[in-house]
Amino acid sequence: MTPDEPMTGLDRGDLRLNAALVVLVAALAFLSLLVGPAALSPRTVLAALMDGEGIPGIIVRDIRLPRTVLAILIGATFGLSGAALQGLLRNPLAEPALFGAPQAAAAGAALVIAFGLAGATSFAVPLAGIAGTMLAIGSLLAIAGRRASLTVTMLAGLALASFGGAAIALILNLAPNPHVALEIAFWLLGSLQDRSYEHVLIVVPFLIGSWVVLGMTAGAFRALTLGEDAAASLGVNIDHTRQAVVVGVALGVGAAVAVAGAISFVGLVAPHLVRRAVGSDPARVMLPAALTGAALLTAADIAVRLVPGPVEIKLGVVTALIGVPFFLAMIFSERRLLEGNSAP
Amino acid sequence: MTAAAAPLLLRADAVTVQLGGAVVVDRASLTLRTGELVALVGPNGAGKTTLMRALAGLLLPASGNIEINGRQLETLGQRERARAIAYLPQGHVFHWPMHVAAVVTLGRHPHADPFSRTSPADRDAVTRALQATATEVFAGRRVTTLSGGERARVALARALATEAPMLFADEPTASLDPRHQLVVMDLLRRAVRAGGAVLAILHDLTLAARFADRVMVMDGGRIVADGRPEDALSPAQIAKVFGVDAINVDTGEGFIPIARHPL
Repeated sequence: MTPDEPMTGLDRGDLRLNAALVVLVAALAFLSLLVGPAALSPRTVLAALMDGEGIPGIIVRDIRLPRTVLAILIGATFGLSGAALQGLLRNPLAEPALFGAPQAAAAGAALVIAFGLAGATSFAVPLAGIAGTMLAIGSLLAIAGRRASLTVTMLAGLALASFGGAAIALILNLAPNPHVALEIAFWLLGSLQDRSYEHVLIVVPFLIGSWVVLGMTAGAFRALTLGEDAAASLGVNIDHTRQAVVVGVALGVGAAVAVAGAISFVGLVAPHLVRRAVGSDPARVMLPAALTGAALLTAADIAVRLVPGPVEIKLGVVTALIGVPFFLAMIFSERRLLEGNSAP
Repeated sequence: MTAAAAPLLLRADAVTVQLGGAVVVDRASLTLRTGELVALVGPNGAGKTTLMRALAGLLLPASGNIEINGRQLETLGQRERARAIAYLPQGHVFHWPMHVAAVVTLGRHPHADPFSRTSPADRDAVTRALQATATEVFAGRRVTTLSGGERARVALARALATEAPMLFADEPTASLDPRHQLVVMDLLRRAVRAGGAVLAILHDLTLAARFADRVMVMDGGRIVADGRPEDALSPAQIAKVFGVDAINVDTGEGFIPIARHPL
């Protein structure tokens, strides 16, 4: 056995990787505080962050900081959710958006907003998003069953995503007020613009809950490398693991979508970027996937502010524009494996 | 020590398993003792895998009783059960291209504290399993880069690393070349000699006769024979269960059944 080959837990290589990713996230966070229509020097931003005085204080603390914090928290949640779904299904192409999770969350949240059941910063919105996601991921795992074949999983995900889209269309269609419908349509594109501390507060409890639930199942994902029967024979409770993933992904994605709209493909890209660095271990990939997700979404949110134009490009549009070609490239590079997967 | 005097590890009484309403295992009764290598043979669809999964606690029988070390199987906790029985399913599947050492370490999962690093005892067990299967040379390689025979040995190393008193192996020699079939059977023999008990589903009756202390024959969900290889695999029994005309050939070190001609 090579000395730096860890058996479980973190080894020095993992620590280095995670430390580097933390530094990257911190650097991007600072960059995110610098970028915006008001030109502020790094020194001004630092001072404003510390004392919060004057106009720079308002800009940095009340406008840019909540947005940055949300990008980090939501990006980490998507990275972790993607890694968890991939671990459970033993499939590197698993991603919440491919299973209709953000669509279902958006449908739940849109329902609440469109019919004026609650204000946009009420706990009812993330709760509705969580309920929608739980329905989507729960149905997916129920349909995919124990064997979780790639074809069945992907087809069920496609159907669920389409259904989520149809539900959103119906809500927009029936929305009592065209302004509300328009607002929802824009919100669906995914953005962190003009988010406040209220938004941070209503999602943080759910996101932390999601991290705890998914983090606790990491060991089970490692055992699932050997398939469900072998994992069960090693003492892993497969049903509990599946339920934990449904609850964890629903809490995370449901709450995230409720404040940020539909953001997709971070969960696919983030684990893929770090998988080889952790020896393809589905448990060790989780923390670096979360950090990479945070870095990716923060970087994307900086990018949307840097592109010149009369309107800001929506964050969800950018992640999809980058994520979908990435997804296609993954399919292309793994197509031999995917073609083999249809065999029993 | 004679087999009958060795400690009883497992006792199953009239175990019946239904899958989708159909009776797949029909009132199977058996025992497994320390120091025994028991081969479970039978035609395709006889219910061998289902019986083994039920004995391993992976599915719940419709009726009957299974005792592990004198305790009801269903009263054992999942980790407790996992420490008593190592199970090696068919196919030797590895879903991620993990390193061999990390895969073998999965066998220590039933012993591991989920919040701590691998203990020295775990490391020692993994090293022993790697050495026993001669897989330590590729401990740092990814499982997906290995040949079929190497993967089979790694899969077995994973099961051995648990160091459970019982090892259930479902077709451990399937799709291996003749040499690797012998290598794997030899490893199972050695696991038995080291103080364990092995129950192995085999399709090759010659291997079963050569390596097993006892052979159980399943047909249509029932155990129709259970005894010394030469009795359980008599030409009459083979003709009845497998529909194959066979003769028993004495090799000098025991006898082996050989099919005379197909059908």
